[in-house]
Amino acid sequence: MSKNNNENAIIVDDVDKSFKLYYDKATTLKERILFRKRNNYEKKEILSDIRLTIKKGETVALIGVNGSGKSTLLKLMTKIIYPNKGKIIINGKLTSLLELGAGFHPDFSGRENIYFNASIFGLTRVEIDKRIDKIIEFSELGTFIDNPVRTYSSGMYMRLAFSVAINVDADILLIDEILAVGDQHFQDKCFEKLRELKKEGKTIVIVTHDMNAVRNLCDRAIWLYNGRVKLDDRSKKVVDEYLKECA
Amino acid sequence: MSIFKELYQYRELLKTNIKKEFRGKYKKSSLGVLWSFINPLLQLLVYALVFPFILRVDVEHYTTFMIVALIPWNFFASVVGSAAPIIVNNANIVKKVYFPRIILPISIVTSGLVNFIISCVLILGALLISGVGFSVYILYLPLIILIQYLLTLAMSFILSSITVYLRDLEYVINAIMMLWFYLTPVLYSADLIPTKYQLIYNLNPMTPIINAYRDILYYQVSPQLNGLLILFGFVIVLLVVGYIIFKKCERNFAEEI
Repeated sequence: MSKNNNENAIIVDDVDKSFKLYYDKATTLKERILFRKRNNYEKKEILSDIRLTIKKGETVALIGVNGSGKSTLLKLMTKIIYPNKGKIIINGKLTSLLELGAGFHPDFSGRENIYFNASIFGLTRVEIDKRIDKIIEFSELGTFIDNPVRTYSSGMYMRLAFSVAINVDADILLIDEILAVGDQHFQDKCFEKLRELKKEGKTIVIVTHDMNAVRNLCDRAIWLYNGRVKLDDRSKKVVDEYLKECA
Repeated sequence: MSIFKELYQYRELLKTNIKKEFRGKYKKSSLGVLWSFINPLLQLLVYALVFPFILRVDVEHYTTFMIVALIPWNFFASVVGSAAPIIVNNANIVKKVYFPRIILPISIVTSGLVNFIISCVLILGALLISGVGFSVYILYLPLIILIQYLLTLAMSFILSSITVYLRDLEYVINAIMMLWFYLTPVLYSADLIPTKYQLIYNLNPMTPIINAYRDILYYQVSPQLNGLLILFGFVIVLLVVGYIIFKKCERNFAEEI
């Protein structure tokens, strides 16, 4: 076990996940009693027999068509949802960017939201104080930082959210299809930052459809197809195979 | 024990959340936090008129008699009512970020506690104005508040997690709280209950708590320590049970809301 702790960041051990798809879900007592049939649901297998080991310092891309289970796998790793079978072991502090700006409060200023958002990621006041200048600088929001977030454009919103998440100093970073934030300049900057984090030995898992990003950034790619791992290899090889299939 | 470690790590979130609950409650109203005084004052006014004058309740310093019980009761009732839908109301963050979910009920109970401590000014005011005054037994106050806080917390754990699966609970609770209010000696003295029902009556965990407030503040005698200690033990057990229920339900929160 101690050996695992040293080398592996994420261990996904024989995981199955299915969702209950209700036809018409009964959430109230009346509906539960009157319309028992309404609770009919279909069990939909999202992931089955997933076994993965992601080593510390690896940069891994999850690729696959829509509905192949990439985001579900990421959510399982974050502990937002739990597997039906198997288990997931995480070694190290984990931050996820599944959706940017989760928990942003529109009436609060950008600065207040940084505090709130960073506290959701588990940072203490002192730690946020230390990082706040870095976060504001990275977001390039300048004086807008003290305006309420509802006045922001969507690009500004994304930039703020990304800046918070990337500066949390997690050991493991999970990112879901959000690299397309902001303009070209900001995107380049995000990639630069990710490369920097990679150099520092952080573990990064991204879900993306941008194959160039996979080739440039990731060492390894995992191709999910219908909830199963179809190919798990060096990113170049997986991307080539994937593109061949899609074409 | 990992729960305490995690809560300690997320203490900033706990703090901001308590503040948010507290500030957010009256944020849009022009009188703001003043409503935490005005609301109970208006409620008091109604009871203080109805009981002595219309129902002719004959208790010395009735307003004080009632206020020392009503304000603690309000803390309990309003928190339990608003804690039930707390997970559902925070669906947007529960679905997107991992954080210890238990922070949500803890913050709402704690912000209620802060609100309660502020409105204790009303109790002190009533004791002064009516001339009932204070005694050394007021030193028991923190103990009683602690027991009540833990009881409210335990109930919030249970109700907030079950409401995710059974949304009716939010509304059922309102009716239950109303009944519970009259089954607790807030507006009247517990002595009014016939002896043969006393045993059942005292099973209500809020009864010894309200009695204790009244003993130390209004009658100025020592509270019934035996009863309080038994209750303390019960509350600790309930807290553990509530925590286990919450943890069990927690796994599916993101999928169910």
